[in-house]
Amino acid sequence: MPRTAPLHPFTVLALAAAVVATTTAAGRWWLSCTVLLGCLLLAVWARRARRLAGLAAAILAPAWGSQLLIHGMVDTAGSQVLAAAGPLRITAEGLRLAAELGLRTAVLVVAGLLCTLLIDRHDLVAAVDLSGAPPQLGYLVAATLSLLPRLAQRQRAIGEAQALRGAAAGAGPLGWWRRVRLRSVPLVLSALQDAADRSTHLAARGFPAAGPHTRLRSVPDSAGQRRLRRIAMACIVLGPLAVLAPTWMELA
Amino acid sequence: MSPNLTLPENATGHPLRRRLMAAAGVLLLMGTYTALVLTQPAGLIDGLGQGVALATFAAYLAAAILLLAAVLPELPVATLTLIPVALALNIVLGQFVGSVMIPLYLDSLGTVLVGFLAGRRAGAATGVLGTLIWSLFNPTVLPFAAGAALVGFLAGTAARFGALRRPYLAPVAGLVAGVLVGVLSAPVAAFVFGGTSGVGTGALVAAFRSMGDSLLGAVTKQALISDPGDKAIVFLLAALLIYALPGRLTAGFAFVRRYRVLGRRGSR
Repeated sequence: MPRTAPLHPFTVLALAAAVVATTTAAGRWWLSCTVLLGCLLLAVWARRARRLAGLAAAILAPAWGSQLLIHGMVDTAGSQVLAAAGPLRITAEGLRLAAELGLRTAVLVVAGLLCTLLIDRHDLVAAVDLSGAPPQLGYLVAATLSLLPRLAQRQRAIGEAQALRGAAAGAGPLGWWRRVRLRSVPLVLSALQDAADRSTHLAARGFPAAGPHTRLRSVPDSAGQRRLRRIAMACIVLGPLAVLAPTWMELA
Repeated sequence: MSPNLTLPENATGHPLRRRLMAAAGVLLLMGTYTALVLTQPAGLIDGLGQGVALATFAAYLAAAILLLAAVLPELPVATLTLIPVALALNIVLGQFVGSVMIPLYLDSLGTVLVGFLAGRRAGAATGVLGTLIWSLFNPTVLPFAAGAALVGFLAGTAARFGALRRPYLAPVAGLVAGVLVGVLSAPVAAFVFGGTSGVGTGALVAAFRSMGDSLLGAVTKQALISDPGDKAIVFLLAALLIYALPGRLTAGFAFVRRYRVLGRRGSR
């Protein structure tokens, strides 16, 4: 059974933002690797390490491939040439740049995904509702997160129904286009019809309500967490400034 | 009439404050973009580069959130119920299209639908919200929130000025929108991520770089190749889907009625 952090969602997000901002500003490979290792250990604690690795790999593999192509394979500035053939020019500086950019992206992706895995979605919606954000925002986050699996399931059901009635899509671009049309038209039309029906019911019940309203779900919070959030928010700005100020002074 | 059917109509917040927030968002976005294009910082990891990456990320995200905060309280209930559907469609259709080997995204179909049906403010809000929620599953999309807002804004603008009254006008509007969105998003790709997030687009950037282009120049050229085609198809698909909707459903949106978005089709 996966575990979620017994923390306020905003505490987790503020800590992650502070870590990502400071690590990006520092631009040190060992710090990035330490943060990645820390994220992995937290994911192991949450019993989500495999899921984190799978999701991160799906996002990072193409991004790393792109950074390697752009900086590692056709570097025009580096002096330590490792190989050159036609437009290809592989240099040590280019590979180092690609690796550092890859680590920067990895910290953002892994820390961000870890937040998603550690935060309970219902707590997140309740936290948005209880915050000073407009009441519409809480509804939109909650409705989207609950609609996502339902629409994905409906899309699969539509695909199966089309296959059952013998609507063959075929191969190649035309087959792809036909498959998109067969799935998306019923999906979009039914979803829009549902939304139109829902709006009348919501409007009849006084949505969006102005003024305070009672929430039955409480979000774990404490004075210590609020203090931690304030410190993390300050670190998002001050951490990078403290790291980068000496470099900027040298450049100036 | 009150937006909800049971409570008396109240003035929704402070219109002046919302306008100021929207203006601040636009100014922040344009200021950051202009500064990046004019200075074109060369180093990506030399101290200055990290600062530029963080500043670009923060400025684009802050601008998108300011625009969202300015627009959200004004949206009617019919639009608010449409937005989650649009966001889910962006993600579900984006993933379905991404799972087959076709070099298109189609991940802004829902945003464009909202822009066409509910106007440019609702479209912009959908773009930002969609990016914020998608970032729970893919954090790299977060700094592209402003680009997504521009897609929705331009879809609403195009619908307002008659792009849906003739089927061939929608892809033309999409082409123009794709150019603007590509140009706006290129600095984020270049200075935050040092390139693109896909191997195919990365190969294009690498080709332009090998011809002597700067990183921003190469990413902008790649975006100008990829984005207009994608947005033209998305605008056309969204227009065709709206033509297929029942008239009583499209007529439920005040924006469609007020600006005669569908022309004669709307009066059927």
